[in-house]
Amino acid sequence: MIPHACIRFGLAVMRYSALVFVATVLLLPIYWLVLASFRPAADIFATAGTVSVATFLPERLTFEHWREAWSGELPRAVANSLFVALTTVALGVTVNSLAGFAFAVFEFPGKRLLFVLVLATFMMPFESIVIPLYVLVRGLGLTDTYAALILPEVASGLVIFLFRQFFAAVPKELYEAARVDGASWLQIWWRLTLPLSGPTIATASLMLFVHQWDAFFWPLVAAPGPERIVVQVAIARNVTLEVANWGGLFASASTAILLALVPFLLLQRFYLHTIASAAER
Amino acid sequence: MRHGFREPWIVVFWFLAPALAGLALFRLVPILIALVGGFTGTKLTGETIWVGLRNYERLLDDPSFWNSVRVTLLFNLVVNPLQILLALGLALLVFRPTPLVPFFRAAYMAPMTVSLSLTSILWAILLEPTMGPVNGLLRAMGLPPQPFWRGEDQALATLVGVASWKGVGYWMVFLLAGLLLVPKELHEAAMIDGAGAWQRFCYVTLPLMRRPLGFVLVADTAANFLLFAPVYLVTQGGPNGATALLMFEAYQAAFTYLDHGRALAVSTVILLVIGLLAFFELRLLRERGA
Repeated sequence: MIPHACIRFGLAVMRYSALVFVATVLLLPIYWLVLASFRPAADIFATAGTVSVATFLPERLTFEHWREAWSGELPRAVANSLFVALTTVALGVTVNSLAGFAFAVFEFPGKRLLFVLVLATFMMPFESIVIPLYVLVRGLGLTDTYAALILPEVASGLVIFLFRQFFAAVPKELYEAARVDGASWLQIWWRLTLPLSGPTIATASLMLFVHQWDAFFWPLVAAPGPERIVVQVAIARNVTLEVANWGGLFASASTAILLALVPFLLLQRFYLHTIASAAER
Repeated sequence: MRHGFREPWIVVFWFLAPALAGLALFRLVPILIALVGGFTGTKLTGETIWVGLRNYERLLDDPSFWNSVRVTLLFNLVVNPLQILLALGLALLVFRPTPLVPFFRAAYMAPMTVSLSLTSILWAILLEPTMGPVNGLLRAMGLPPQPFWRGEDQALATLVGVASWKGVGYWMVFLLAGLLLVPKELHEAAMIDGAGAWQRFCYVTLPLMRRPLGFVLVADTAANFLLFAPVYLVTQGGPNGATALLMFEAYQAAFTYLDHGRALAVSTVILLVIGLLAFFELRLLRERGA
């Protein structure tokens, strides 16, 4: 008979093999892309069609593509995207936490129906309304403005839901005590509950930031001009050119990925926790 | 929902107004525009006229529209169950916090930092038939190279694979959060009663995972139903209409053929399908008692 410890060891080996395999499939393409941005143009595809050690370990490195990418329209696109994403985060956290607070704390007629409608908006893919939204934004004369990129993404059913779940878990006595002390509801929201909701704010910020940083379809439609170009559209334009500049493409794509990695690494530890506690209630 | 504070309506109004105004203007109004605009057309002179049901009649007679409907439904019937199964598998794989598991959890979330448009570009290059490293890898292993995006039979499956590469880690987070909430005592009690690992998964874990699974089903469908970037950037709906998802059809009508009536009619069809889908998904969840 096989000893119990042997079976457990065998299972652990299988589990770790699976873990490594999945990690390889998910990470290797990103590694190859970032690596390619540092390779001399001639080496990128010479080592790709026939796979060898040189495909994954470069022999020569260069910063040429990065220098080139950053001297083009990329800095402008990065600045535009950062401005749009950070403004959306600031406005979105404020506006959605206010609404989440109202749904959690107040009692008013029509509350259930309104909340169901708010939840329904997040079951609706944003893409499904891109074309009528474009008709609306064009009608308001807002094409090629920051407002067109920012305003439609501020209010979010999912973020309202996350804040509602958090505020509803705050003991009612805390609100009552603050009311007795003469605090207004706005003061309670700003001074009492917002400082408590750090992890929820972190998660909501990450969601709103990533959503705007990754945005492609809406900016492509709503702000096609060179003045308001965003990162994802700028990079995609490189591909559709007749003679693609691969090195420049890899360098600008790496820029976009690495800049998204910063908030992700800073905030991801709150992410799992917030989602778990929102689901609990 | 527990009882809250009753306050003058003006207080409640100011808390709700900014967010609800945003949702009304940028979600509800576009729906109305699609509904009404689907009945209009543009004359050569540029003025908008009422055309009744003509946009819809033309859609129903158009084989390329029906092909888009077929492709969209087929794509979603495969991609959503597949992604949820894979995400659940990954969540179970990284559930027990043994050494290095925190690293793997973070690693699986890494494709979240690659936007869908970059994912499309990246995988267009990786899966390029002659120069791409994936076919290089296949050749190195002695396997025949594949056309991937360029093959009429493979393009949609490639789209499913690429969307899943980007998506599974993201959905894994929600399912892992659900798994972490399953009380340990229940597993211990079942173990004492002699339940094996598979039985414990089916009778303890799965029933308690209804809510996160339901959430992921709804959100994943919403994310995949209208995939646009890969179709626009890589396949342009081809080869031979194999990846012509509905959203691309609407985009082409609006921005290639400048036929806003048709684009809004397609948008209305998309909204109807999504409404139906949401309705059935909600019923499914409620029946299961979630």
